[in-house]
Amino acid sequence: MNRQQEFVLRTIEERDVRFVRLWFTDVVGSLKSVALAPAEVEGAFEEGLGFDGSSIEGLARVSESDMLLQPDPSTFQILPWRGETEPTSRMFCDILTPDGEPSPADPRNVLKRTLAKAAEMGFTCYTHPEIEFYLLESDQLGPDGAPIPIDKGGYFDHVPGGVAQDFRRTVVNMLESVGISVEFSHHEGGPGQNEIDLRYADALQTADNIMTFRTVVKEVAIQQGAYATFMPKPFTAFPGSGMHTHFSLFEGDSNAFHEPGAEFQLSKTARHFIAGLLRHANEFTAVTNQFVNSYKRLWGGGEAPSYLSWGHNNRSALVRVPLYKPGKGQSARVEYRGIDSATNPYLSYSVLLGAGLKGIEEEYELPAAAEDDISSLTSAERRVLGHSPLPASLYDAIGTMEDSELMAEILGEQVFEYFLRNKRQEWSEYRLEVTPYELHRNLGIL
Amino acid sequence: MAPSLTRRLIALGSSDPDRAERFLAARELDGIDEEVLLEGLAVAPDPDGALVVLVRLLEKVPSLRETVDAGLSRSEPLFRLLGASEALGEFLIRHPEHLDVFEAAPSAEPQGADPVALRASLLRSVGADPSSARPLASRTGADAWEALRIRYRRHLCELAIRDLTAASPADFLPVAAAELADLAAAALEAGLAVARAEAAATFGAEAVDAVALAVIGMGKCGARELNYISDVDVVYVVDADEDSGLDGSTVLGIGTALATGLSRAVSGTAREPGLWQVDANLRPEGKDGPLVRTLGSHLAYYDRWAESWEFQALLKARCIAGDPELGRKYEQAVGPLVWASAGRDGFVDSVQAMRRRVTEHIPPAEADRQIKLGAGGLRDVEFTVQLLQLVHGRADESLRVRDTTSAIAALAEGGYIGRSAAAEFDASYRWLRLLEHRIQLSQLRRTHLMPVREDALRALARAVQGVMETGKASPEALLEKWHRTKRSVRELHERIFYRPLLNTVANLSPEEAKLSPEAAQGRLAALGYRDPQGAMRHIEALTAGVSRRASLQRQLLPVLLDWLAQGVDPDAGLLAFRRVSEALGTTHWYLGMLRDSAAAAERLCHVLANSRLIADLLEVSPESVAWLGQEKELAPVPLDAQWQEIQSKISRHEDPSARMRLVRLIRRREILRTAIADSAGLLDQDAVGNALADADQAAVLGALRVAEDQAAARGPLLTRVLVVAMGRQGGREIGYGSDADVMYVHRPLPDADPAEAQRQAKEIVTSMSGLLTQPLRPAVLAERVLQLDADLRPEGKAGPLVRSLDSFAEYYRRWALVWEWQALLRARPMAGDDELAADFMRLADSVRYPERLSPADLTEIRRIKARVEAERLPRGADPGRHLKLGRGGLSDVEWLVQSIQLQHAARHPELRTTSTLGGLHAAAELGFLMEREASLLAETWRLASRIRSANVVWTGRASDMLPSSRRDLEAVARWCGYSPGHASALEQQYLQLTRRTRHVFEERFYSLSQ
Repeated sequence: MNRQQEFVLRTIEERDVRFVRLWFTDVVGSLKSVALAPAEVEGAFEEGLGFDGSSIEGLARVSESDMLLQPDPSTFQILPWRGETEPTSRMFCDILTPDGEPSPADPRNVLKRTLAKAAEMGFTCYTHPEIEFYLLESDQLGPDGAPIPIDKGGYFDHVPGGVAQDFRRTVVNMLESVGISVEFSHHEGGPGQNEIDLRYADALQTADNIMTFRTVVKEVAIQQGAYATFMPKPFTAFPGSGMHTHFSLFEGDSNAFHEPGAEFQLSKTARHFIAGLLRHANEFTAVTNQFVNSYKRLWGGGEAPSYLSWGHNNRSALVRVPLYKPGKGQSARVEYRGIDSATNPYLSYSVLLGAGLKGIEEEYELPAAAEDDISSLTSAERRVLGHSPLPASLYDAIGTMEDSELMAEILGEQVFEYFLRNKRQEWSEYRLEVTPYELHRNLGIL
Repeated sequence: MAPSLTRRLIALGSSDPDRAERFLAARELDGIDEEVLLEGLAVAPDPDGALVVLVRLLEKVPSLRETVDAGLSRSEPLFRLLGASEALGEFLIRHPEHLDVFEAAPSAEPQGADPVALRASLLRSVGADPSSARPLASRTGADAWEALRIRYRRHLCELAIRDLTAASPADFLPVAAAELADLAAAALEAGLAVARAEAAATFGAEAVDAVALAVIGMGKCGARELNYISDVDVVYVVDADEDSGLDGSTVLGIGTALATGLSRAVSGTAREPGLWQVDANLRPEGKDGPLVRTLGSHLAYYDRWAESWEFQALLKARCIAGDPELGRKYEQAVGPLVWASAGRDGFVDSVQAMRRRVTEHIPPAEADRQIKLGAGGLRDVEFTVQLLQLVHGRADESLRVRDTTSAIAALAEGGYIGRSAAAEFDASYRWLRLLEHRIQLSQLRRTHLMPVREDALRALARAVQGVMETGKASPEALLEKWHRTKRSVRELHERIFYRPLLNTVANLSPEEAKLSPEAAQGRLAALGYRDPQGAMRHIEALTAGVSRRASLQRQLLPVLLDWLAQGVDPDAGLLAFRRVSEALGTTHWYLGMLRDSAAAAERLCHVLANSRLIADLLEVSPESVAWLGQEKELAPVPLDAQWQEIQSKISRHEDPSARMRLVRLIRRREILRTAIADSAGLLDQDAVGNALADADQAAVLGALRVAEDQAAARGPLLTRVLVVAMGRQGGREIGYGSDADVMYVHRPLPDADPAEAQRQAKEIVTSMSGLLTQPLRPAVLAERVLQLDADLRPEGKAGPLVRSLDSFAEYYRRWALVWEWQALLRARPMAGDDELAADFMRLADSVRYPERLSPADLTEIRRIKARVEAERLPRGADPGRHLKLGRGGLSDVEWLVQSIQLQHAARHPELRTTSTLGGLHAAAELGFLMEREASLLAETWRLASRIRSANVVWTGRASDMLPSSRRDLEAVARWCGYSPGHASALEQQYLQLTRRTRHVFEERFYSLSQ
């Protein structure tokens, strides 16, 4: 028993914590939770908690369904929305095989592996996500078959007396109380749409934070009689919810992306990194945009990027290099705008970092930066400029990913295989569905 | 005639006599008797170097000639030092005022300098009062730094002189190493006094004086066994006087200033070069952690965060400078942590990883020059000693010493290692350290590499000799002795780890070490045995008694235990070894082999600890152990020779089951032979498949003969029978424990009644297949019986077991389905009538190489394959891990090859082969597959086959799954040629290859385009 574990036990005792939730994430990115009585925590630290992994998405090979959850005591937090009367806490867990080895199918372990690879190359990775989501009146659809947003505000609108104001304030407070720093929060473009930006942190911690964030947002919404959704594109008419993420690599304490005097102050490392993202973007889109619905966002216009391109402060590009502020070399970073809010953050960050690192390793050449608004170009222009499209649908994305050696290497053969199987299944179920679109358009005339 | 000057120079060790002669003529040497000079140079390890420095010194200090003139009795220290250390010569040229170091009379048995005096001397050099509790320097900045360094180097000269003029430098070595550590500590102490004076300017004198800083030496300095030049590893502990009123952050700030200040004083840039690096990276959290911590903060870290190896590093921790009271508190607090570490989880793993690190990570260019790293190097000695200290020091406090030589002595004293082994180990260690010292002394550079140039080697050879030693020192002799020492260190390993274990149970000899049972079990567990109690019982059984075997095993077991410990399952290996040994008991060749053939004994341990299959077979046929010693016995026995042996053996017996027993024993023997040869790397995978197929074929030949004789005994023979091998047996590509796919053909004799002949043929094949599998008396132990499987015959299980050739022809003409054509692709006659075989193969060729394969037929094959994939996989099996039917597995490769053969073999005879790899090769040659695709498929097929075999070899049971448990996977990975600890690499490799193979398969097999 080390001191950190003791600290957890002591806190449980002192705060009279009644339940300890063990959290982990399945391959598609759903948060899973097991509640333990405080008396059982000590045993879980020592031996792990056995559970049947076969019923969890992507976790186990059927032949060995026994898995172990190993709680990570450094992630211990009291959950503020459970109130003070019967405090509840949580810890993130690593998933181990019965022999005590990290499970190759644990998404958290996939990211740890990728970060270890970065560390071998001498890098630490920091990320900071801007998470968009919609606040709805409930999870029920309105009479027109569309969800009902909670307000009618727009980008940066101050909605007086609105639920959203109050809601964001509560969320931000709650996040701070579980140790997640918020950089920024505001009303986004769509009615009821909000954006909250988390402060940059080590990539693994960010991924843990995103999982916590989603829970906090959903809990607070429920408390306020509303419903929050991270669905990539809940409204045909309004913008989708993206999760633009800023990446930076540090070598020791200096930012490896920054080179004073170079074009856009971008170092060679940064250029190779971006080239890696662009070259492999089609291969990893099935991970960063993993649902059928994700492609309605990617191709739904607005700010969503649908073509391979990068630009300096160009908000239509897939990869954006934010405007450099003099004297802020340490904050040099690269923003990837393709990810949506429903992704599995562990896997998404793994594939993005993995692709970028590949670019660095192989010294990929970076094409010229895009200066125009990509969506306003004609398709012939885009072809000439080399801005090929991202996959048009989940089906296309799966097909491209299947052929990618790099993705198999980053995710590990087991996750790779399982992920594809799961997504193929989703696609085939979707194909069976008769959609309102078809009914509106065809029923009356055929 | 007197020898020429050149010859005399060569005789006294000069490598460049021409140059030496020019220097001898230098103006500075005018008037010095040449004889006296030559006499002096003769004792200098590097006479050329010594002469050059001497001339330069005389140029600066002409009065030095008095020392030279006085002859060897006074000048010996001078010549020895100048000839051993160019760097110290340069120092004396820079600071000739210190030439008085040569005035001390040399001693053959020198003593170490008093650490208190060294401390006082260094402190005074910076104007600090040695008697003060917290000495404060009166000099600061570069001025103080230089004074400190010059004083340090003066003492270094004094030590080097005593070292170089000792009668036995190896005896003096621990003293020299301790004095080097004391001198380093004194320098740090003086540096701290300077830092205090410098910090006073920032923080105020009173505040600085209220802060206590203890400098804890780690590594070699902590252990008081420092080298002439190396980084000095330290950590800092800080504290403030109780009544100081300083807040915590100020205390840390002052502590940090003191630590950086003392490091600067020792190694910062100044006119007199820095001494060495002060390295504080072993501190908690390494480079990222704060430079200084309070005692409480140190302990909190070790309590919560520290890794196994960090505790092992604390083994050497000792307060070397600064506040002694605070230092003692630190030592007392961390001491117990070290000794609890051997009980921590992961200790065995971290030990094994450490042991691997000893030999890995040596840049290849340095591999044969490294004194420190590599097997038999200094690190190897240190690792061995520390491991034993950690394992036994928990219970025995007498082992809690820091330096290596004392630890060896304590281990011998406590009976943990044998006295003679300890003496030898100690001598080897000292000699290696001496080499390292002399190499470093020359340029005062941190290096652990043997010099390359011959003149440097010659100087080194002379430098390691004591003054009384008279032997000729040559580079060859030096290298020879070095290699001998390395070898001896490597071999001492087993004597030190394992021999004392034996004494626990066997009472070898009173003068050898003897462990308590608890200590012995602790040691076995640390070395990788999971059931140390059981292991002790086996060791006891193997060594008890007065038989020749027991006494020989007492000799050999230490080595064997080490070899077994390197296997995946040392416990099972030891048990199997005991059984084999008991079975072979007194046979003289067995004892002789163990005694005389180390390679054979190592191979034996290797197979016993890694293969259940081989261990089981060796237990029941121990005489086969003899093959391990004779490589030619491991060559596969050709089919003809096996058949001859079978014929002659069955001719001597009447009873069918007695005859069959002999046949099956031969098959068991040949499988074992193949497995051992395979494990020794003597056969490649294709040869293994062939050898196993031959063993099966010989057994089928024998069984058919016995069955026919049985039939003949009951009445006249009416028909001739042929056994046709199908499937992988047909391709001679089987693994251990494969069933044999077969078909039976017969042809009635000309005048026999067809119905009667059919009945007799069925009787013969039924009895033959029974003969191969039925239990016998006495039983054939550990046999994996040969199952004949005739399901691939026309109409499958529903069809008659055996058909006449005519019936086959009729069936194939009228009814045959395309999968039956496909099955015939790998048909090969296995046993029976030759003429019938030729006729049947002609028939088979006409079926399996069709002139044209219709699109409908092709579609049918694809459809069957698709159905097999869906239906044949066992319930719940993970398709990614099923070797045979899984994604990209064996059957994908085989079906693809066969579909190419069916389509094209009629026109391309190169494709007519029963072997999958042969077919792949031909398909690539002919352009039906791309070269890249064919080699991928071949690699996958080979790996999957190899894993299938490895499953049988490791567990003794057949399995078509890639194992899931780590231990099984580890064993399989080793059999597949991966180095220890790479189980996951095999898993990833397999999954990757099969994924790519599946890709090719889907494109080539299922795609509609031709």
